[in-house]
Amino acid sequence: MSNIPFRSDQVVEEIVQFNQNLSKGVKNLLEAEEISAGVTPREEVYAEDKLKLYRYQPSTGVVQNRVPTLIVYALVNRPYMTDIQENRSTIRGLLDSGQDVYLIDWGYPDRADKYLTLDDYINGYIDRCVDVMRKRHGVDKINILGICQGGVFSLCYSTLHQDKVKNLVTMVTPVDCKTPDNMLSHWVQKMDIDAIVDAMGNLPGEMLNWTFLNLKPFQLMGQKYVSMVDIISDEKNVKNFMRMEKWIFDSPDQAGEAFRQFIKDFYQQNKLVEGGLKIGEHSVELKDLKLPILNIFAEQDHLVPPASSKVLGKLVGTKDYTELSFPGGHIGIYVSGKAQATVTPAISEWLNKRS
Amino acid sequence: MTESNPWAAQWFKAQQQFVDAWTDMAKSGASNNPTGQSDLWAQSFDMWRKASGAQTQPDIQQALNKCMDMGKEYFTMAEQISKSLSQGKQPIEAINQWMEQLKQSLQQFSGMPGFDGRGVNDFMQQWFSPTQSWQQMASALTPMNQAAWQMPGMNTSAFNLGEMVDPLGRLLEAPGVGYFREPQEKQQKGIQLALEYHEANNAFNQAFLRVALESIQGFQARLLKLGTDEAPRSLRAIYDLWVEVSEEHYAEFAMSEEYQSLYGEMVNRLMIMKKHYNEITNDLLLAMNLPNTREVDTMQERLQQIRRENIAMKKELGEIRSMLGQLTPKSTARQSAPAVTQSAAEAKQSAPAARKKAVEPAKSKASSKPAPATPAKTAAKPAIASAPVKKAVAKKTVAKQKSAVTKASTGA
Repeated sequence: MSNIPFRSDQVVEEIVQFNQNLSKGVKNLLEAEEISAGVTPREEVYAEDKLKLYRYQPSTGVVQNRVPTLIVYALVNRPYMTDIQENRSTIRGLLDSGQDVYLIDWGYPDRADKYLTLDDYINGYIDRCVDVMRKRHGVDKINILGICQGGVFSLCYSTLHQDKVKNLVTMVTPVDCKTPDNMLSHWVQKMDIDAIVDAMGNLPGEMLNWTFLNLKPFQLMGQKYVSMVDIISDEKNVKNFMRMEKWIFDSPDQAGEAFRQFIKDFYQQNKLVEGGLKIGEHSVELKDLKLPILNIFAEQDHLVPPASSKVLGKLVGTKDYTELSFPGGHIGIYVSGKAQATVTPAISEWLNKRS
Repeated sequence: MTESNPWAAQWFKAQQQFVDAWTDMAKSGASNNPTGQSDLWAQSFDMWRKASGAQTQPDIQQALNKCMDMGKEYFTMAEQISKSLSQGKQPIEAINQWMEQLKQSLQQFSGMPGFDGRGVNDFMQQWFSPTQSWQQMASALTPMNQAAWQMPGMNTSAFNLGEMVDPLGRLLEAPGVGYFREPQEKQQKGIQLALEYHEANNAFNQAFLRVALESIQGFQARLLKLGTDEAPRSLRAIYDLWVEVSEEHYAEFAMSEEYQSLYGEMVNRLMIMKKHYNEITNDLLLAMNLPNTREVDTMQERLQQIRRENIAMKKELGEIRSMLGQLTPKSTARQSAPAVTQSAAEAKQSAPAARKKAVEPAKSKASSKPAPATPAKTAAKPAIASAPVKKAVAKKTVAKQKSAVTKASTGA
């Protein structure tokens, strides 16, 4: 092609406009208030070490599901992504559609938590949170909604404690960690995880950040900020952008032993699919999982490719398995308007039918 | 904020000059190129950025810095293209000329040891943000190693450069002698490991350089392939196309065996080096009679194990209390053997129910303290205290129940 239809004066006009937007945006950024995370009122109902279990204030005038739902989020990011702003809150959507929502906030592990294992997280922390909820509500079983790595934990927990789980929802959860399109998995195959944990103790959050950003460096470290100039002349957009920005760079350190086992067992040896997974003393076989499962994945997920999640249907032993495909990415599934309109109501409808 | 910061005022003033210059240029049919104004924009921003750093929230400052960095790169692109256009070149020629400049700016670094992206054309910095951010992170993660590099007599730059590596390697192979043989050997090994890491890091960076050059050719090829309908119609469209092509080249590289090996090697070498310097640090701390990480790790591991056992015991205690709470005062008061047998049978029958109630968390806040624990405690205590003979039998009963509970919880 030899003819690109734009002229010199167009370039000039464009750059003048860009610069004007940038100036306005810089003013807005300088005047921006401190960004708060999490918007829905909640109370702390249980705490242990750095973990906190929150119950979100139920919506008034809504018929409530008598079975409460526990959200188990990943360790690698902060859970306020599910409640990032008022009109983009998965938690608000669940409350409004009648769910009684609890969430585990794992906090920020430090060196004192280095020896926490997956057994401590799954059969320890999660189990005790589940027991707290069962007792508070006088029920034998609760619903669990596991997100990303939290979905993996939820699968393990539900397999080992089926007497305490009524329904399981997994969102953007990596099950087969060796699909050919999984960049994260590809990168860790030749990494000496023992050397990393032995040298670092805990895995620093900034190493995780580096990894996540470098999955798409041109979009996530370049284009995003050029595009930002288009929108930051509006104060409201500045706040929304900064909330996302805060979340993206808010990666807690990972407890060394848990990280070692997670990467080796799931990402390097793919034990959820290949078999041989043990959490503490207990073997985890997904075929033993017989409770109702709703598995939600994102079609453009660059962190957890859809194929990595979809395989779950073939591995579990339940006869009540449902899949929901979302046309978006790993983050959009919580924060996009489309997700608020489709994903959250679908989860509630599915849970209400089974609770 | 603007009033309180004179640099901000200066910068906004420079912004206005910049806008005016570009506007004049547009009016005059792009006969002049405001390179000087563009430089002013960048300089005034840099001054403002340094001055305002302490007055802005860290989150905002970080976003601002990134936004401005990208702004500078975007302006550089605009400047290069508009310069060529104002010289009467066709847009495709202007873009190709810009691409050739980028290529030249990169080629000079090919094969250069220690290259990490610094010094390349502003616009191509994006290609090296992974390598540069890695460099920053690696430095932050290895403070002891950095300190070692900065010891008197250490020529850091020399260790990165090829010509010096071989003689240094031979020096490092020299055997340690005398009383301080072991520390000397450890230091030698540390430097050897650092060299190995730098070698791995350099291989990683050079691969990035090669792929970045390939991406420029890829972009030029993509432009030629586009149909008239798909042709970029704005500066932003050109930039977005460049991002798209670069991301494709990067993804192909990142999913290759080569990347997997280079990245794995770089990370592993860094960690081996760090581990070694941790050991040297531990030795130093030990020599100074100060606690070191080896000792702290041992204590943490033991503590974690004790915590696990403590939690398990608390749970079992809760279950025992709950089961004992189900024994009626009447039946627990009986002292005779048949009564004990009956009690054991009752307890055995109620084991699953007891488990359901035994949901006491290890450590809970006042709002969630399990209510049944208190009555169970008061009911059980007198019964045990007043029936010493029965205590042993009750223990046996509890052991049976415990076994049932364990089976149930493990799913066995």
